[in-house]
Amino acid sequence: MAARAADLDVQIHSASGAPVAGAVVSVHLVGQPTPRPRPGGIYMIDQQDIQFRPFISTAPVGASVMFMNHDPVRHHVYSFSPAKRFELKLASKQQNQAVTFDKPGIVPLGCNIHDRMIAYLNVVDTPWAKTADANGHVILRGLPATAVTVTVWHPYLRAPGNGVSRNFTLSDASPHSERFVVAMRNPPRDPGSGY
Amino acid sequence: MVLMRPFGFRQLRTRLAVLYAGLFAIAMLCIAGLLYGVVVHNSKAQVRKELIANGTVFDRLWDQQTSQLRGAAGVLARDFGFRAAVATNDRGTIESALSNLRQRVGLRTAFIIDVDGNVTGLAERGEVREASALSGRLDQGMVAGVAPLGNRAHKIVAAPIMAPALMGWVVFAAELDQQEMRSLERLSAIPLSAAVYQRREDGSWRGADEATKTPDLAISSFIEANWRHGQPAEIDGAGGLSIALAKPLPTVPGAPPAVLLLQYPMRLALSPYRPLEIAIAVIGVLGLALVVMATWRMARSITLPISLLDAAADKLADGQLASVPVNSQDELGRLASTFNRMASDIVDREQRITHLAFNDLLTGLPNRANFTQHLEHQLRMVERRGGHVALLCMDLDNFKAINDTLGHPTGDELLRRIALRLGEELGDAFVARLGGDEFVLVKPFDGEAGTIDELARRALAAVEVPIQINEHALDGKASIGIAIAPADGTNNNSLLRSAELALYKAKEAGRGTYRFFEEPMNAIAQSRRAIEVDLRHALGKGELELHYQPLFHLAADRIGGFEALLRWNHPIRGAISPTEFIPIAEETGLIVQIGTWVMQEACRQAAQWPEHVRVAVNVSSIQFQRPGLSHVVLQALQNSGLQPERLEIEITESIFLERSDSTLQLLHTLRGLGVRVALDDFGTGYSSLSYLQSFPFDKIKIDRSFVVALQTRPGAAAIVKAIIDLADALGMETTAEGVEEPGQLATLQKQGATSIQGFLFSRPLPAPEATRLLKSRLKLRAA
Repeated sequence: MAARAADLDVQIHSASGAPVAGAVVSVHLVGQPTPRPRPGGIYMIDQQDIQFRPFISTAPVGASVMFMNHDPVRHHVYSFSPAKRFELKLASKQQNQAVTFDKPGIVPLGCNIHDRMIAYLNVVDTPWAKTADANGHVILRGLPATAVTVTVWHPYLRAPGNGVSRNFTLSDASPHSERFVVAMRNPPRDPGSGY
Repeated sequence: MVLMRPFGFRQLRTRLAVLYAGLFAIAMLCIAGLLYGVVVHNSKAQVRKELIANGTVFDRLWDQQTSQLRGAAGVLARDFGFRAAVATNDRGTIESALSNLRQRVGLRTAFIIDVDGNVTGLAERGEVREASALSGRLDQGMVAGVAPLGNRAHKIVAAPIMAPALMGWVVFAAELDQQEMRSLERLSAIPLSAAVYQRREDGSWRGADEATKTPDLAISSFIEANWRHGQPAEIDGAGGLSIALAKPLPTVPGAPPAVLLLQYPMRLALSPYRPLEIAIAVIGVLGLALVVMATWRMARSITLPISLLDAAADKLADGQLASVPVNSQDELGRLASTFNRMASDIVDREQRITHLAFNDLLTGLPNRANFTQHLEHQLRMVERRGGHVALLCMDLDNFKAINDTLGHPTGDELLRRIALRLGEELGDAFVARLGGDEFVLVKPFDGEAGTIDELARRALAAVEVPIQINEHALDGKASIGIAIAPADGTNNNSLLRSAELALYKAKEAGRGTYRFFEEPMNAIAQSRRAIEVDLRHALGKGELELHYQPLFHLAADRIGGFEALLRWNHPIRGAISPTEFIPIAEETGLIVQIGTWVMQEACRQAAQWPEHVRVAVNVSSIQFQRPGLSHVVLQALQNSGLQPERLEIEITESIFLERSDSTLQLLHTLRGLGVRVALDDFGTGYSSLSYLQSFPFDKIKIDRSFVVALQTRPGAAAIVKAIIDLADALGMETTAEGVEEPGQLATLQKQGATSIQGFLFSRPLPAPEATRLLKSRLKLRAA
């Protein structure tokens, strides 16, 4: 295993040129197993103002995510995702409960009481994953200078599995800049309406 | 009416009937047409309104149904358990939930499409493929619209399944089939038909169900033309004219356009008005029949009197008496009564004209024309059947005198009375007046002459009874000449001439009697006519000659003048007496021509004599009656150069009998020229002293009858003396005529006559001898 480290700079735009905020960039190694991430750290998904925050987040496999209700109302958080099926009935105000996600995959989160509440948790099996900032910009550091697969995922991305991947080789000589232009679906105008 | 001319109706009645019926029919047609137009227009407008209203109803129905389906789909899509089943792809649960939903909503088709296009809940592979294709067109939102499914149009309502991200769609599909359309049709106030059509890629349209799958071209092209603007319009399709509205339906994105076609046949729209149309037609036909009947009757009331007038006028034209009944007070009635009046006036006038033509105006007896016809008829009868006809010509003996002395009105009255009597007394004979005092009687008889004698006596007796007119008692005396056909003549003229000759004979016989015609009369008449014919040529042939008889002036003891006397030397008969031919000349008017010649000749001759010698010329009363005498005299004086004082015209009293005023005027004119005027034959006829007073004669000639009587009749001398004295007193000369004896001369000389004339001195001499006599300066033998 090479000890040399490389940096990856990813910029994501939609076809219309808008930065895609919240897009999840993850890197897997090609030709060798990707090391398992360490499930340390604290991961939180809050319910505040009848919304999940953040909308999109990542967590390594085996991580325990804390769901905390800041609203004065009851929430019924659920997911039917293959990665994790669960239900949390959170009573009002400051009640929290942790859920451990032991399989990688996308976990859409909903509230059975409030249809408009939706969030996505991307459970990754790599130590190199990060959500893009408001400018659609992600920097990953300390990557091995080797061949990699970079995947960009977003719930509204128009592609199978809502993600696109690209293979290339990183070098330690200079930071690798990669630019993604992706087709985006319009977000549902108001997920709660229309019924 | 000019309008009617081309039709050339023979009867006014037909003309009127056709005219009015035609006008009424036109009016009715106009009304019916207008009404129909209004009805159609209103129906169309109403149908349009209905269609639009139904379109709106349909919209709301559609929306209602959509939201109902949406509700149902939404309920399912939100169900936690269902979402869990979908998320975990629990097919059994999904199928059961869908079938549960189908039953609840009452739909045949409900299925699920996931985001990858996998379909759950549909069996048929074709449908699955179509449904799978839908997945790309559906979005996360709710979708409702028309889309084809299983080759048929369906109303699709899709609700997304969010768990919480989009996992797929619950889809309800309601087939837009006939059943669906019938339920829509039932909602409409009018019986319209509804059908859904979808557009094909070639622009044609196909129906949603079997019945409308292949619409006729009219419908297809109508939809193509109208579906975008959604306004009602008319289709003239296989089922007749109809009004239709093509209403675009919302479609699933990407699905072909679809329309709801609401159609309403005009036949149905107009059917409520059918009774009205029938009513108008019935009213029209009845009205037309009534108009024709009424016009026919009215025309009859107008034309019947006109036809009657027409026929009556025809009759009148043929000369028959005609009249028409007067039935009304209107113009026709007035026309009829005017016509009747006119017709009877015409008949009256004709009768009067006929009467005037055949009757004498004065007496009312048949006139000459009538007599001529009657006599002709009688003569024809005699010719055909034998027998005899007597013609009696009657002439009043003293009528002329009565007329002269008592005036024409009295004469006329006398004629009227006599005519009346003749009519009364001689009813068995045809009595006519030919003019003047001439009457004729015609009587057929069997040949017994006594019958006619008796008739003639009765006629004379009828006339002879004295007649009282005003203060005069007049006794008419008449003479009658009788001729009998066929012996005395076989035609009008010969018979009339014979009767007239007999009449002359009766008059000659002393008047107041009758004579039958005898053959010698005819000979005399023929001789007269021969004289008349010869006289016409005598002047031209120089057969006339003037002889001159000297008038011896006693005081001057010489010839003071000559009286010119006419002589006719007939080449065959020798000398003809003036008493024979002068009356004929007067009757025929030849006297005027002859008199002119006499005047010329006498003046011409006298001009060659010494200046103291005058010439006396006799002028007939006929010459006085004809115009131009003064001109003749003047002409003769001019041509001859004779001094007017040397011309003496001799007239008789008879010239005063007619038109004495104009006669006097003429005499004064002649006197004005210087011509002398002598009164001849004084003392005979109607001698009246008033004539002497009325005109200052230059001379009076004492008639020979007085001179002859001088020595035979006592008292004659006294009359002659009285005449001479009277003439002296009036400053007139006297000449005694017919002096033949010396004794007569002596007496006349003693009594103071101015001159004498007679054989004693000289008979009339031819001009050369007269001239020689003048030169001989002969003395009177008596002297």
